[in-house]
Amino acid sequence: MKKTTYALAMAALLASGASTLAADTKLGLLMDITGPIASFIPPLQNAANLAVQHVNENGGLLDGQVVPVYGDTTGSSQGAVDAAGKLINVENVPIIMGALMSGTTISAAEAAAIPAGVVQISPTATSPAMTDINDNDLLYRIVPSDNFQGQVLAKMVLDEGIEKVAVTFVNNDYGVGIGGTFIEAYKALGGEVVAEVKHEEKKNSYRSELATLSKAGGDALVVVAYAGDSGSKIVKQALEGGLFTKFIGTDGLRDEALISDIGAEALASSFFSAPTSPADNPNQARLHELYTAAYDEPADKPFVDQTYDATFLALLAIEQAGSADRGKMAEALRAVASAPGEKVGPGDWAKAKALIAEGKDIDYDGAGGNYDFDENGDVAGVIGKFVVDGDVYKQIAIFE
Amino acid sequence: MELGGLLFYLVSVLIAGGIYAVLCLALNVQWGMGGLFNAGIAGFFAVGAYTSAIVTTAVSSKHLGGFGLPIPFGLAAAMITAGITGWIVAKICVRLKSDYLAMASVGIAEILRLVIVNESWLTNGSLGIAGVPRPFGDLLQGREADLLYLVMVWLCVLCVYILCQRLYVSPWGRTLRAIRDNEDSARAAGKDVDWFRLQTFVIGCAIMGLAGALSAHYFKFLSPSATEPLLVTFLVWVMLMAGGSGNNKGAIVGALVIWFIWSATEIFTSRLPPEWITRSSYIRMLLVGLLLQFVLQKFRSGLVPERSPKIRSD
Repeated sequence: MKKTTYALAMAALLASGASTLAADTKLGLLMDITGPIASFIPPLQNAANLAVQHVNENGGLLDGQVVPVYGDTTGSSQGAVDAAGKLINVENVPIIMGALMSGTTISAAEAAAIPAGVVQISPTATSPAMTDINDNDLLYRIVPSDNFQGQVLAKMVLDEGIEKVAVTFVNNDYGVGIGGTFIEAYKALGGEVVAEVKHEEKKNSYRSELATLSKAGGDALVVVAYAGDSGSKIVKQALEGGLFTKFIGTDGLRDEALISDIGAEALASSFFSAPTSPADNPNQARLHELYTAAYDEPADKPFVDQTYDATFLALLAIEQAGSADRGKMAEALRAVASAPGEKVGPGDWAKAKALIAEGKDIDYDGAGGNYDFDENGDVAGVIGKFVVDGDVYKQIAIFE
Repeated sequence: MELGGLLFYLVSVLIAGGIYAVLCLALNVQWGMGGLFNAGIAGFFAVGAYTSAIVTTAVSSKHLGGFGLPIPFGLAAAMITAGITGWIVAKICVRLKSDYLAMASVGIAEILRLVIVNESWLTNGSLGIAGVPRPFGDLLQGREADLLYLVMVWLCVLCVYILCQRLYVSPWGRTLRAIRDNEDSARAAGKDVDWFRLQTFVIGCAIMGLAGALSAHYFKFLSPSATEPLLVTFLVWVMLMAGGSGNNKGAIVGALVIWFIWSATEIFTSRLPPEWITRSSYIRMLLVGLLLQFVLQKFRSGLVPERSPKIRSD
């Protein structure tokens, strides 16, 4: 008797899943719902659900509705591979949005999505390792790699007319990532790195490192470090010793603490790079308005924009492909994300669906950027150039 | 649901289940036979995983090595380094009573994990090691490659099972059980208790290292998110308890049953009505907890309880 009850309960659960209509399309949403970044997730689930809602209320997907299916990575590689495997093999989704952490995203892609030929698009994974994965054009992301800022900074420094620099970076993933890329890109563009010194965090004196750096005679010192730790001390001790007067920093150094430590005057000739959003992006304002209207809470939380955009892009790709055929997704995703084409933005599903039905090319520009994928499935971000203006930083140029 | 998809889902469950079976067998040597409460499985697992990844990946500027050696060398190196780590740990804490050993080993596992996250010259820290090869990676592409890996994982399970079974029925295994059940009488019988415990701990840790290596080659990418204690330490304990500690077959059965419960619950929770959708992952965790309670309550000494081999008295 007991067994029959269990069997009935199981059957009921399975049947409730089978009740989705044949014309409906499933969308895989892979997120680190439980686990170390659980606290970030609720607004991101809202963002993904909002994209789904916009589609279902404005004509639906293909000939039916879209049914979101969540997979929980539990924030671990084991869970990520398992959850992605279920989305692919059991739920049969044509495309996956996610995951959020680099570690879970890459594990899911390597052990589940790439072997099965399923496109995966991550809203937030920034690991440089993703660029070089042999992915048969299946793995995408819509945030720039950590390496991107280093390359842009190299261009920024040369544009300023500085052709000889000394470089010091903090010995962690942030410093080594950006510092290493900067040096490579700067040399490739024709600049000369006269000295490079890796330094450790949490020391009191960096005078011996600075002595090595200044002996080589660069025109400026590039500092890739956090102002709250080694960054401020290096700038201060360099000024005290009269070793450097011009500093170039990254977003870690671009901190109000630096100005209060050093003073605005001493930093007058220095400049800084940091990720920023495209100037006055109307799509961002529009998404935030829609989000707040739907959930009655502010939308300026980390990665809400990117999660909405990635979900919307995945849905556009299915519509563009004209069917839930996995093999067509990569091509369709590139087509809807990249210029040229008629511009569509967050919430414009009815317009996009009509354009696709007419056979016109579309180009989705989201709340977080334009998302034109390069051959690795990466996007370029937007880096701002900042100078000190009184007690704050002022953005004076934008590099894309 | 199409049939081919279900087959590959089953394959992925069995691969992960096989890796957990190796971990369970390792824990069974330590706890089931030797009575050593090791709550630091994740640490030795991580040591093995990183060793094999470093030994087998191509040369990289981002971490130590890689040395580009064939995968069998990676697996062997993983077992050796995890074993040596286990030996050092055992030297310091194997004399501790079981609950103190548990606390000490949790701490040691965390130390190992933090070393991995912070020493980026060695492991590339939080960015992880990419491009970890699969055996016969060029032979098969796509999902079919998983079938090959499934065979390899279960060959490892079989080897480890045979080894553990031999250990269990040997005089060495009998001595261990004597120590486990009554340390003082074993000591009185002239057994060097500490030496036996040290051996047990090292053998278990080496096998945990093997499981780590198998995971690294399965994921093809290794980052600290592969060594979460929830999924590596605590889940393995549940598996062994549910399967039947002291019984090698039980360890394998427990690993498969619990991993299937862990994995398949999501298939049901994702079928809940749309209003529940953002909560389904938490409902799943609740469901997993309830099912584990059920298994543990219903089968007090495990699904396959320990049966000591008869001692011939002729």
